[in-house]
Amino acid sequence: MTKTAEKVLLKGNHAIAKAAINAGCQCYFGYPITPQNEIGEYLSVEMPNRGRVFLQAESEIAAINMLLGAAATGTRAMTSSSSLAIALMQEGISYIAADNIPAVVVSVMRAGPALGYIFPSQGDYFQTVKGGGNGDYKVLTLAPSNVQEMIDYTYKAFHLAHKYRTIVFLLADGLLGQMMEPAVLYDYPYEDIDNSSWALDGAKDRPGRWIGSIHRSEEVLERKVLELFAKYDVIKQNEVEYETMLTDDAEILITAFGSVARIAKAAIKKAREAGIKAGLFRPISLWPFPTEELNKMARGKKIVLDIEMNMGQMVEDVKIAVNGEAKVEFFGRPAGFYFTPDEIFEEIKKVMEGLK
Amino acid sequence: METLVFQKPKSIHKDCKVTFCPGCDHGVAIRIIAEVLDEMNIADKTIVVSSIGCSVFLNDYYNLDIVEAPHGRAMAVATGVKRAKPDKLVFTYQGDGDFASIGLGESMHAISRGEKVTAICINNTNYGMTGGQMAPTTILGQKTTTTVNGRDAEVQGYPIKICEMASTCEGAAFVARCSLDSSKEIENTKRMIRKAFESQLAGQGASVIEILSTCPTNWKLSPQESHERIRKELYPVFPLGIYKEKTSKQV
Amino acid sequence: MLLKKGIDMGRVVIDSEKCKGCLLCVDVCPKKILKKSETFNAKGIYTVYADDKNNECIGCALCAKRCPDIAITEVYR
Repeated sequence: MTKTAEKVLLKGNHAIAKAAINAGCQCYFGYPITPQNEIGEYLSVEMPNRGRVFLQAESEIAAINMLLGAAATGTRAMTSSSSLAIALMQEGISYIAADNIPAVVVSVMRAGPALGYIFPSQGDYFQTVKGGGNGDYKVLTLAPSNVQEMIDYTYKAFHLAHKYRTIVFLLADGLLGQMMEPAVLYDYPYEDIDNSSWALDGAKDRPGRWIGSIHRSEEVLERKVLELFAKYDVIKQNEVEYETMLTDDAEILITAFGSVARIAKAAIKKAREAGIKAGLFRPISLWPFPTEELNKMARGKKIVLDIEMNMGQMVEDVKIAVNGEAKVEFFGRPAGFYFTPDEIFEEIKKVMEGLK
Repeated sequence: METLVFQKPKSIHKDCKVTFCPGCDHGVAIRIIAEVLDEMNIADKTIVVSSIGCSVFLNDYYNLDIVEAPHGRAMAVATGVKRAKPDKLVFTYQGDGDFASIGLGESMHAISRGEKVTAICINNTNYGMTGGQMAPTTILGQKTTTTVNGRDAEVQGYPIKICEMASTCEGAAFVARCSLDSSKEIENTKRMIRKAFESQLAGQGASVIEILSTCPTNWKLSPQESHERIRKELYPVFPLGIYKEKTSKQV
Repeated sequence: MLLKKGIDMGRVVIDSEKCKGCLLCVDVCPKKILKKSETFNAKGIYTVYADDKNNECIGCALCAKRCPDIAITEVYR
């Protein structure tokens, strides 16, 4: 990727909105909810300025279905929301997945359950990765951990959505959405993807096309699901993404995603200074989860410590991945208490003491 | 020389077999919509939004571009389609349950926004596909599988009047209720559908065509008795007519 | 398929396999030509046929426009 532009101070939510515009997003549909409102507010001005569509829907249910309709025409389109409101979108998400429609959903997590509050959280790992909608489907999920990555992975979300004709989630949290830091807003680095073979644009000089999920025979429905999962296999092969830090000689391997991974990096530096050999394994693609990669990485480690801003969600995938290669412990807090590096450092010390 | 005066519309699949129950008016509605598209020569710029219920199988009939909306969300999906492709003719084909019960919010908001789409709503006063349960349009006293003693206003409330409600929206450009109970009404319904499509293409706003339609199987009446029921029982509750018609000057 | 040719008169083409025997067409035929069949189709449905010995069909197509099954596929005049 060429990053020719200069660094500018950007708020996380604005970074997403600006990246969506650069990525050629033609339609945005959304309904207000904190902590992601800056995305819609920014796009409400900038999309019409470019002759593109910004539409405030009457509900999240309407928003996801407007996205379904626009994206079914092959148009690059997105919505953004948060937690309890993403919950309202789950039916539409299942349809979009089943229909092989390319769509981008930005989820800026807040603390739950239910209304909870606007504090940052990672309580919607399950909601996103395990799916809240019905049936067998997967959501390609990318988890940025700083403002620069909000741009990088918004770009990648649009690219992958159209490359695989699939739904892609950018899973951020209130911390990432609200923070400001310098980032480079470079040009969208991916090629346009031809959608003329499937998109709905009127049956001119060709038979009509149908995008839908109802199949009245077990054979056809099974074939459709198997085709979906064949596509998921390709995504698993190609799109697993993760980051590591100081893992080679590590005795304790920290697993964390999103903003927590970033805080963990500071804690790991502290641990190293204190003579504790700590390292980081950070899944970036939460689905497909870097299962094999984490398994290899966990071999020979004394312990894997999974840290999340929730009561333990990704830790289940971590345990499946580690598969007995090392002991897995969990450290987490719900309700918007994000960690300081010191807290994580103390937990690392405690866990290492426990091993003695 | 023989002249062909009627043939299956081109927008209908050549090998199409209508799979609705015997005597169900859905088949007539689907055919006359196709006739209007053919007559207006706009089939190749049309995107249809299907919905959930007996209306879900549109792809069995139409050789057109179709997207299936989740239950009740057809007008939201249509909004997305039209906003992305403003030069297309976009219409939904929904039942009264989809349009006016689970999807009332999406329907009314899309109409209020003046979305340049057409909703074609088949009102058969019950949930046909699931076996004849109460619908938002079930009339007082009507027996359904969930109102076995007849709909009681004290318990289930009153039927929703789709056209009356839609016509209060400023975004509505053309709103009409019609019926398929006779040859004359079939012709009139076709005219109303054409007016709605013309209104949409003229950019006047949202259009709604509510079609009183039979459900002989769940009404437990013959097709002929079903049409009689429409005239006797439904006309007084759901009067036919144009409820709103914006002239181009009002736009 | 039941075909009937007439001179200066109409004729209807009925696809019996698509007919579900609702008989709505019988009611609208102004010449009362359409009749319930004595035989049934592959689905076991007593369908409709055009009994037009006297070339009475005027090709008005009311039957085809009434048919909910698009089983009256063509009308000629």
